[in-house]
Amino acid sequence: MNSVLWVQFCKDKRNPLVILLFIAGSILATFLFAGGVYSPTTVAIFSEEENASEIETKWESLLNVDDSIQFEIVEPEEARTNVKDGNIDVAVMLMETDYRLVVTSELPSVSYVQQHVEKVFQREAQISAIVETQGEEDVRSEIENYLADAPFQLETQGTGSEQVPKYNLSTQLLFAFTFLISMFILGLKVNNVTNDKVSGIWDRMILSPMTKTNMYCGYVLDSFLITLFQIVVVLLMFKYVMNYEVGDNLWLVIMIAAFFTFSMISVAMLITGFIRTPEQFYAIYPSVIPLIPLISGAYMMPGTITNPILLFIADLFPMAHAMEAIMSVIFYNAGLQDVMMSLLFMLLIGVVAMGIGINLIERRSK
Amino acid sequence: MLETINLSKSFKGKKVVQDVNLYLNNGESVGLLGPNGAGKSTTISMISTLIKPTSGEIKLNGVNTIDKPGEIRRISGVVPQELALYQELSAYENLKFFGAIYKMKGKELEKGIQQALEFVGLEARQKDLVKTYSGGMKRRLNIAAALLHKPKILILDEPTVGIDPQSRNHILETVRMLNQKDGTTILYTSHYMEEVEQLCDRLYIMDHGKIIAAGTKAELLSILSTEDTIKVELNKMDETFVEYVKTIEGVRKVEASHSQMKIIATKGSNLISKLVHLAEKHHIQLINFHTETPSLEDVFLHLTGSKLRN
Repeated sequence: MNSVLWVQFCKDKRNPLVILLFIAGSILATFLFAGGVYSPTTVAIFSEEENASEIETKWESLLNVDDSIQFEIVEPEEARTNVKDGNIDVAVMLMETDYRLVVTSELPSVSYVQQHVEKVFQREAQISAIVETQGEEDVRSEIENYLADAPFQLETQGTGSEQVPKYNLSTQLLFAFTFLISMFILGLKVNNVTNDKVSGIWDRMILSPMTKTNMYCGYVLDSFLITLFQIVVVLLMFKYVMNYEVGDNLWLVIMIAAFFTFSMISVAMLITGFIRTPEQFYAIYPSVIPLIPLISGAYMMPGTITNPILLFIADLFPMAHAMEAIMSVIFYNAGLQDVMMSLLFMLLIGVVAMGIGINLIERRSK
Repeated sequence: MLETINLSKSFKGKKVVQDVNLYLNNGESVGLLGPNGAGKSTTISMISTLIKPTSGEIKLNGVNTIDKPGEIRRISGVVPQELALYQELSAYENLKFFGAIYKMKGKELEKGIQQALEFVGLEARQKDLVKTYSGGMKRRLNIAAALLHKPKILILDEPTVGIDPQSRNHILETVRMLNQKDGTTILYTSHYMEEVEQLCDRLYIMDHGKIIAAGTKAELLSILSTEDTIKVELNKMDETFVEYVKTIEGVRKVEASHSQMKIIATKGSNLISKLVHLAEKHHIQLINFHTETPSLEDVFLHLTGSKLRN
């Protein structure tokens, strides 16, 4: 086993570019796609009325009621140019008692901003109406005091803790893309079995005193170590360099990633069992792999896929279990006990797929 | 030392090797000769225990190797037809790996690598990547990889396919040295008649999965001792003339190509005078003709009815 591992590492040492490109690809994909899930934190506001600065000041304080969105006064031209160039999704043009949204297309972030602005303007309109009816300016502060301590108050609470966990799709996508790329790396490594079979090196090994168990272990361990290396490098980079939310229990996350890697290596081995040449593998594997995250709902918010058939198919692949376990650890502080079932599922998939895969490979050799 | 008894192999019902009986004595060099698709590679794959025969036995010193492949794997080295090497690694790294899988390590491995490289004349380029080697050098390294554990039996499956004459001679010389100096038993398969003639003490001729002749070179040539081979050069080729030649009494086989004819006929059949007479009748001029000593190629032609390199 050591000699197989050694020779595979030698090959990677000679040509490290492939692995490095995959790591870079993983980071790039996360940036491109996870970065695209934009929840606007700062929204430009401006007014073109005669008393523009007065209006802007008034609405700026009213709109900035919490930390979820920060409204910032900018020049009208700047706001329009930024929206036009796609630098920002939305800007708010303020009027005395009304507003207009400056947008180029109906993005999800637009309705998010609109909801907030609409709420603030409606409330202000109601208060203004009451003040006008009553004719007393004190009514405003009375209403504000009343609302601050209203008889019915909504308090949200998490099931396990007082704090409601905040779901972050960017984090989910980070793992989705890291795992997607890792599946390609491990596939490439597992395909070395077929490569060596075709070249005749496999036969040389069979004729040597090395056992088949050691041969397979060498290839599997090589795929496992390289893939896990890629995942860990990407995670560490996102956690410590780009300050992504990867959770505090990094060891448990890496452990889940390790189970996922083993399980996917087995799936790749199963696919290897059905093919004869490395070229067939290169044709089939990249066609199948991108479907796995899609079926597993890795690119979508949890609960998006509700079709029981799709959910059943997703459960057949390790990715759904890995994503579920990792999201539980990161967002809900789940421990080893909590994710044990997901780990066992991955292990089961791994053992079954590896068993069938090796069996098929051996049958083809006879 | 090693023998096969009624060795057969079928793939999807098609028999590719049928009842092959062959034996190798200790220190002997034996050739397995046959055209492509004759079943040579399948036979040696069975002998080296890579594939299991459908029926028959393989015995190493009386012990069935099908049930106990360990001993033959330990004492034999196989040089496959394909280049079973890591192209992206150096020759040294390749040999280090192939030595390590035979549980060689440390000084023993280092010594083995250097000896093998020296033997095939690649010690000066051992640190170069295999992909930068010429075809002949790759073939030599392919042999070196099988020599590391000092096998008593070396099985070579067409080791000179697709290489230049110089590299070919180098390989043949290497194999000869292994056999004559180190006493390694050689089983050499090829479809190059001259290689087998040069290297081997005994030959097996295989065609369509069967051994069709066996023996020393002299024994095989004696098959044609009752025949004459006559090569004739004509000023033009005429199909009718060829057909008439075939009808001459004593003629067994006629091969015609361009302006040449090769005729195998029974000894003493007075063929030349009949041929001159027939040529005059067909207005064909005989430019040149000579009687040939039969070669193994002729033996093969005689036995199979086709040329070896078809």
